Amino acid sequence: MSQFRKLRQIAGKDLLVIGKDRGSWIVLLLTPILIIMVASFALGPAFSGELKSKLLYANLDGSAIGNQLVDSLSSMEGLELVEGTEAECEALAVGDTKYKTCMLIPAGFSSKVLTGSNTGLQVYVDPTDNSSRPFMVGMVDGAASRLSGMVNSIKISIVEVMKYAPDAEPITVASDAAQTAVEQMNQDPPVSIEMTNAGAAADVNMFDTQAPGYSVMFLLFGVMLGAEGLLEERDKGTLGRLLVAPVAKSAILGGKLAAQFLIALVQMTILFGVGHFVFGMHLGNSIPALILMIVVTAFTATSFGILLASLVKTRRQATSIGTLVIILMSALGGSWWPLTIEPEFMQKLGHLTINAWALDGLNALILEGAKMQQILVDAAVLFLYGCVCFLIGIKMFKFRNA
Amino acid sequence: MPLVTAENLVKEYDGLTAVDGVSFTIEEGQIFGFLGPNGAGKSTTISMLSTYLPPTSGDAVIDGLSVTGKANSVRSIIGVVPQDIALYPTLTAIQNLRFYGKMYNMGGEPLERRCQELLELVELWDRRDSRVDQFSGGMKRRINMAAGLLHHPRFLLLDEPTVGVDPQSREHIFETILKIRDSGTTILYTSHYMEEVELLCDYIAIMDRGKLIASGTLKELLSVLGEGGVIEFEIAPPECSKQLEADISRQHGVTSVKHQDGKLVIFSENSAHSLPPVLKVLEETSCEVIHLEIFSPNLEKLFIHLTGKELRE
Repeated sequence: MSQFRKLRQIAGKDLLVIGKDRGSWIVLLLTPILIIMVASFALGPAFSGELKSKLLYANLDGSAIGNQLVDSLSSMEGLELVEGTEAECEALAVGDTKYKTCMLIPAGFSSKVLTGSNTGLQVYVDPTDNSSRPFMVGMVDGAASRLSGMVNSIKISIVEVMKYAPDAEPITVASDAAQTAVEQMNQDPPVSIEMTNAGAAADVNMFDTQAPGYSVMFLLFGVMLGAEGLLEERDKGTLGRLLVAPVAKSAILGGKLAAQFLIALVQMTILFGVGHFVFGMHLGNSIPALILMIVVTAFTATSFGILLASLVKTRRQATSIGTLVIILMSALGGSWWPLTIEPEFMQKLGHLTINAWALDGLNALILEGAKMQQILVDAAVLFLYGCVCFLIGIKMFKFRNA
Repeated sequence: MPLVTAENLVKEYDGLTAVDGVSFTIEEGQIFGFLGPNGAGKSTTISMLSTYLPPTSGDAVIDGLSVTGKANSVRSIIGVVPQDIALYPTLTAIQNLRFYGKMYNMGGEPLERRCQELLELVELWDRRDSRVDQFSGGMKRRINMAAGLLHHPRFLLLDEPTVGVDPQSREHIFETILKIRDSGTTILYTSHYMEEVELLCDYIAIMDRGKLIASGTLKELLSVLGEGGVIEFEIAPPECSKQLEADISRQHGVTSVKHQDGKLVIFSENSAHSLPPVLKVLEETSCEVIHLEIFSPNLEKLFIHLTGKELRE
């Protein structure tokens, strides 16, 4: 009982020391808030689907099939069509416009489609743009393929109609069939992909995509400061002074870890709180599940801190090695960009990190509106990860300098 | 009845022997001085007595409690003032004392009263609410000492408590140590400053290279040098001192001759009687006397006598 009281007193002292250290609070709170703001405004739209590629087009045909091609492209996600002129399209080919791609629908496009001759549909691309070219060309190509499919169907229809109604005028049949096909294209296609966004994801906020990743990264930087603090106590003799007092080692380490855990919890809570109340970040559909993920993440991060303090010899090493490991874990684990955009082997590698497991759970809650049972595996793996770090850390920590 | 008995304490690090079979006793109410150059093994000995480090072999008993077998009980009756300023710089003086008091199971009114007593003892009561990082080096040393006294320890270990402090603060620390001794606390005081040990300590042990090379009261220790004083010559060229060593040591009343940084240090039964024949030996050579000084016996010269090197080396 006496040792537990001392554990609480050591934790209380550490909280008092950290509370008075403005520098620590800048690292723990102010820096992450600023970085999350910058990252959210800069990158949030790209990851939340708000950023659309612009496709310039010039429709010199003006018929139903040409318009249908434009409508078909307009309905595609991630693409915004901007009407322009033939001259603007041609200017783009020499890199002389703000657009990167232009689609030119030539005059007589519809009749050429129906007669099966070369339509002359052209796509102009900025010669300096290599990044968006495949996407834009692919989009136009896809729409043209759908149109080709439709034309082929019409041709087959005409052949069939002519078998049973040999007196009919082929061009009239073709015209009627084209009209019907266009009407059909405006309705739901027979085979389509339906995007399902559960819960919160329906209105994903740019902070939703950025705040969890950066919060976990700065949580790890926070516990790195804690590890440095522990080593500083060893270097400056305050830890030694406790060792020659009637205080158990478990109470000393327990007190310090309890304080670090509470600081980590407060840090995560404030970051998510500021994100929610100031920037409108979503917290998902299950607050208890979010609390569970935050608590487990804070525990695992704290355990990472004691592991770091036990593996390095000096404070300088804690800073340099800790920074390197945290940056690597953040990059691999999805703190800076979604893990889903990485190759599969990188995703597997990423799951060696605290960040990946924490973000699997947090993103599922915030972006997909997951419920408690859907994040239990992530929370359990993260907790196990924390237990392993904790046990190795306390076993290997050296209370005395060599 | 001694309060502390150390028996054949040994501490080895990676094959290096930092403390090599040190034994001593400390009587209750005594200030026991550990004198020796840096790296002599004083701090390691203190670390073993304070239970901070386990001895490689040997043991020490404090008030009937073995430091190896009853470490936890020993910790409750000893106070340690480490060489480092082991305080939390962003906390105030009184916050530091309260925290360390709680580590010794103190609390409430008795702890508050004790904090006040100690802050008054070290004359920092009026600065109790100032952060430690705003204090001078001497003030920090005084708070550092107060933190070791909170629980009324029977045995106080002071490891170089005056390192890096100004003369005024040093005087203040000396006064405080004597007050603590007068209140009945037994003190182990380590220093590499000869004057401090001569001034404060009732009993002195001299350490060098991990071994205890002499111990006794100041008078007992200095008696080794005789009452005749010490003659020190600086001679040019420096090689001369080596050539003259044998001739001088044969002179009447000279007990021993040592080389020290090109100087000849001559120990004699009576420096007034020994000086003329020594000077005569010098006259008969081409060596030139640059500087001559006669000292009363002191611990510095005793250390040279025992080890052939200066205490501050």
